[in-house]
Amino acid sequence: MTKKRQILFSVIRGLLAILIALLVATLLIFLSADGGSFGAKLSATGDALKQLLVGPLFRMGRSGAAFDFKRLTDILASMIPIIFTGLSVCVMFSANQFNLGAEGGIMLGAFTTGMVAVYVPMAAFLHPVVGVLVGGLAVAAIMLLPALLKTKLDVSEMVCSLMLNYIIMYLIKYLMNTYLADKTKGQIQSYEFLETSKIAPLIDNGSKLSWGFVVAIACVVLIGLFMFNTRWGYTIRMIGINQAFAKYSGMKVATVIVLSQVLGGFLAGIGGGIEMLGRYPTFSWSSLPGYGWTGITIAILAGNNPWFVPFASFFMAYLTKGCELMATYANVPSQLIDIIQGVIFLFFAAEQFLSKYRQKLVVKTAQEELATKAALEAQKGGAEHA
Amino acid sequence: MPDEKTGRLDEEYVVQMKGITKVYPNGVAANQGVDFNLRRGEIHALMGENGAGKSTLMKMLFGLEQPTSGEIWVNGEKLTLSSPTVAISHGIGMVHQHFMLVPSLTVAENMVLGMAPRRGLFIDHAKAVAITKEYAEKYNLHVEPEAKVMDIPVGMKQKVEILKALVRGAKILILDEPTAVLTTQETVELFKELRHLKEQGYTIVFISHKLNEIMEITDRLTIMRGGRSMGVYNTCDVTKEEISRLMVGRDVILNVQKDKAQPTDVVLRVRDVEYVNEWHKKMLDKISFDVRRGEILGIAGVEGNGQKELVDMLFGFLTPNAGTVTMQSENILGLSQQKLRDKGVALIPEDRMLYGIAGSASIEENLISDRSAEKRLNRGPLFNMKAIHDEADKLIEDYAVLCKSRKQQVGMLSGGNIQKVVVAREFSGNPLLILADQPTRGIDVGATEFIRKKLVELSRSGIAVLLISADLAEVMELSDSLIVMHGGKIAAYFEDTSTLTDDVMGEYMLGLKAQSEEEIRRVCHD
Amino acid sequence: MLNFLKMLLTPEFFFSIIRISAPILFATLAAIVVEKAGFCNIGLEGLMMFSALTGSLVSYYAHSWVWGLLAALAIGVLMSLMMGFFAFQLKTDITLVGIAINMMGSGGTLFLCKVITNLTEGTSMASSTGLINSNLLIPNINIPLIDKIPFLGSIISGHNLLTWVAFLCCALTSVMLYKTSLGLNIRAVGENPNAASSVGVSVLKIKYIAIGFSGLMCGFGGAFMSMYYAAGWSLDMVAGRGFIALAAQAMGGGECLGGMLSSLVFGFAQALGIKFSAVGLDSNLASPIPYAVTIIGLVIFSLVRRSRAKKLHSAAALK
Repeated sequence: MTKKRQILFSVIRGLLAILIALLVATLLIFLSADGGSFGAKLSATGDALKQLLVGPLFRMGRSGAAFDFKRLTDILASMIPIIFTGLSVCVMFSANQFNLGAEGGIMLGAFTTGMVAVYVPMAAFLHPVVGVLVGGLAVAAIMLLPALLKTKLDVSEMVCSLMLNYIIMYLIKYLMNTYLADKTKGQIQSYEFLETSKIAPLIDNGSKLSWGFVVAIACVVLIGLFMFNTRWGYTIRMIGINQAFAKYSGMKVATVIVLSQVLGGFLAGIGGGIEMLGRYPTFSWSSLPGYGWTGITIAILAGNNPWFVPFASFFMAYLTKGCELMATYANVPSQLIDIIQGVIFLFFAAEQFLSKYRQKLVVKTAQEELATKAALEAQKGGAEHA
Repeated sequence: MPDEKTGRLDEEYVVQMKGITKVYPNGVAANQGVDFNLRRGEIHALMGENGAGKSTLMKMLFGLEQPTSGEIWVNGEKLTLSSPTVAISHGIGMVHQHFMLVPSLTVAENMVLGMAPRRGLFIDHAKAVAITKEYAEKYNLHVEPEAKVMDIPVGMKQKVEILKALVRGAKILILDEPTAVLTTQETVELFKELRHLKEQGYTIVFISHKLNEIMEITDRLTIMRGGRSMGVYNTCDVTKEEISRLMVGRDVILNVQKDKAQPTDVVLRVRDVEYVNEWHKKMLDKISFDVRRGEILGIAGVEGNGQKELVDMLFGFLTPNAGTVTMQSENILGLSQQKLRDKGVALIPEDRMLYGIAGSASIEENLISDRSAEKRLNRGPLFNMKAIHDEADKLIEDYAVLCKSRKQQVGMLSGGNIQKVVVAREFSGNPLLILADQPTRGIDVGATEFIRKKLVELSRSGIAVLLISADLAEVMELSDSLIVMHGGKIAAYFEDTSTLTDDVMGEYMLGLKAQSEEEIRRVCHD
Repeated sequence: MLNFLKMLLTPEFFFSIIRISAPILFATLAAIVVEKAGFCNIGLEGLMMFSALTGSLVSYYAHSWVWGLLAALAIGVLMSLMMGFFAFQLKTDITLVGIAINMMGSGGTLFLCKVITNLTEGTSMASSTGLINSNLLIPNINIPLIDKIPFLGSIISGHNLLTWVAFLCCALTSVMLYKTSLGLNIRAVGENPNAASSVGVSVLKIKYIAIGFSGLMCGFGGAFMSMYYAAGWSLDMVAGRGFIALAAQAMGGGECLGGMLSSLVFGFAQALGIKFSAVGLDSNLASPIPYAVTIIGLVIFSLVRRSRAKKLHSAAALK
């Protein structure tokens, strides 16, 4: 199959997966829509869909939809944590390591950074940098556990990292409840972050779009370069494709497997730290934030390619925003996003999805190649006769 | 003396395969116009070297493959054998070289898998055991019905496989290299049992290349070479030497241009290496040899005589039970692949899809897998992309890899071009020693010729080459001196290959002859 | 310390171990059977969430726990067969299918719960706890005679119907795997699919049966959670039991008896945590105990397996 056709096929396949997910969503919205009659339900569904698909960027008014810059910045702001978890999962999945610890990782990173922000005074510029790095390093250190257990004892990194998510969550809750909470407040939250630690907003329109977004994009570039333009990223990818080949080629397989998970942890950790310092005044998370799972979806959508992570993140942030708007304006619970996400995920990862269509393309390409060959030969033959 | 051709359907033949041709989708013609007949109640040997087409022919008889053209008649009925189930229903059973058994199940459970006797909801274990015992006694194949398959010796596993075929009503048994995994005692026992089956009217096809066994057990034999039948003979009418000549031989005489080797100092020194595999079979038995700079040392032999284990050991994939291996007087046993490569060992692996390439990565990425950390390809922490592109382009050009660009997925290339990618990488890494394991297996003529030329070129430039090949023409033409392996031992060493004949080789390869220890000792250049 | 021990050695404590182990045991049986068929279903967590929601809602609307239970089982089987369709037919990596099901089982069940019950107030939290009264719970079963036995009687008797079913299923699964031709086929397909298909066993069919069975077990497990244990459905109520089950399967050596013992170990860890919090330990410090035990258990299991393999290897070398 030619390169062009291959890309075309991937695009069609991806769009169809999204379309199917939206159809499922439409069906669910219709079932949940208010209204007694079929017609009323249908129009309610239409309104809800408008919010989902157009709402994230356009404000619906009497005079039609108008572009809303604030909403765009909201979306960009909500991309920050999931870009980091997306990158984290990309790196780990590229090495064929099913480490699902980005979820606990981002919470631990947020917590650690938050504590540095509360308790360790520092110069204004230095404070967020150190805080975020400490958060990243803490998670990187934790990820040594599943990574080393995998390489030394062949313990499933998947089960281990899943268990770690819960352990991290409960221990953070324990530390917060017992030692660190600001007891003057009604809910469990830390003391306020020191002013010096805050990451400045990029735009002052109340959107929480901080400089963290710039850092996130910078990380995309760095990880993109790391994965495709350095020997370590290259080794990670080769191990992911064929571990026996990597070993035969003389690569340090075990070391790099550990590296991939530690780096994945580091990315999730700094993602949590940046989200914390850029958006919140205190640490108040009482449960896992869900960004880790979204990160997995993003990695799947991006085909484990870091360069595609911003786009996949935008897509997910857009849909999430749409679902939130639906919840506000059309009374459709925002958790619809989880179902949409699941369905897209299932079809995107399905190798045989549209395989018949693919086969047709392959055959068509082969036939064309044969035809050109025959034509060429005929020409040649003709020339000889002449 | 070929059997007389019978045009009509003869009563005495239970199986007649006529004019069988099989062309695989990748264009390889594994069988070309092969005729194969089985008489009722005979033990018939199907002989030939690896790749001669024996297995393909038998796969078609067992319904695993379908012929491109030709007819298959069983018991006077023309059949289309579309699946093993159909073949079994016509009384054809096959015992594969790799057993089709479930290790954690008992012998009896394996026997009745897919046709388990029931009592109400449950399997009737007693009955399964009874059936097993009944068949075991009837055919004199002793097995332990209650033992788990993983706990029983290989010989008994084979009996279970035979019984499995019999219990499903097989009258014609195809045994694919049944003695390859057996010890001598087990082989003796198997032969007794096969004779017993023959007496009861069963027909047996015996795929093998062990001459002594063939002479001992079979009535007739069909010899295959290069996908064609070399004729059918009564076993008592031919000598081992004749068989060897028919079976082992070069279909094409290669004409590799090469000057006489001028070997210098020893690079690889192997001494008294022994290896016992997990089934307690001695795969390497006191192997000693040297490979010198500037020569190609060939290792010939029928596959399965220890060559694979030897290569695995030399490239750090397994540790021998005894012996030493040194490279330029430094021990290399137990080193990682990375350290071995640093020392200058390169390997063209036999299984190129498993070890040789990362299929979904690009050609370029496959070409640099052993040198990604080298300074010249890196600039600080980043890859020097230009240097890498240049390296890839140069190798693609030097090794004439046919591709659209260096970015193309290597798995999309043809077998020959994939092998060229492997070879380009292995040859260009400044090796001191090249281990070439079946370097041209299953690839097109052009690529084959190219790789052979390169091997000679490199050896003449002062590199030590160890060539392991089951392709007789290749190993005889390319090698300067040559070892023949048989049964995990070195059976012969020839200092000069130019005067060697196929007949002599065949006799050593098939174990008819072995040199004296002193003669073999000459391969050690102490 | 002595007082604490005294607190532990009560019939209530042992009773609670058995009670807490039951849902993990269901999920472990699911993990065992699919593992025998040669793959790993990490979507147990999500399957249980769907069944838990379905069970509680159907029992509410049908005014009967029987219908609720049946619906929970049905949805478990249906969802698992759908997983099978994606994994076997569309060739999605089974791990990814499991992750997708878990995603949907987390937020997606909350969505469904809100939509079906119209309980939209409180955007982040919702549960069906308010809908479930004691008549809609799966009943407890007292065993006459046995409950008269001192100590032991109060440990064994009075358990919920599904607790009994869990341990019964454990025995039945073992029988199914080792005494029926279905079990024989499942084990053959898992170990050597070529051997199975060469004698006419349909590998695809057996895989569907195995994953369907895992759905059935998750149906029980989910129903146990929402129709007895927590008396109602709430977000993420299964709390990793589906994942712990995967570890229990591995630690139990892939066998039903071992799986049951591993489940009891986790039940013990959790019951201990509850006791700890009863004597004043922060529940947030007690709750992670079972998860930590899982990791430690996997490590011990791996060490044991490794040393056993080593012994075997050195024995082979000696021969």
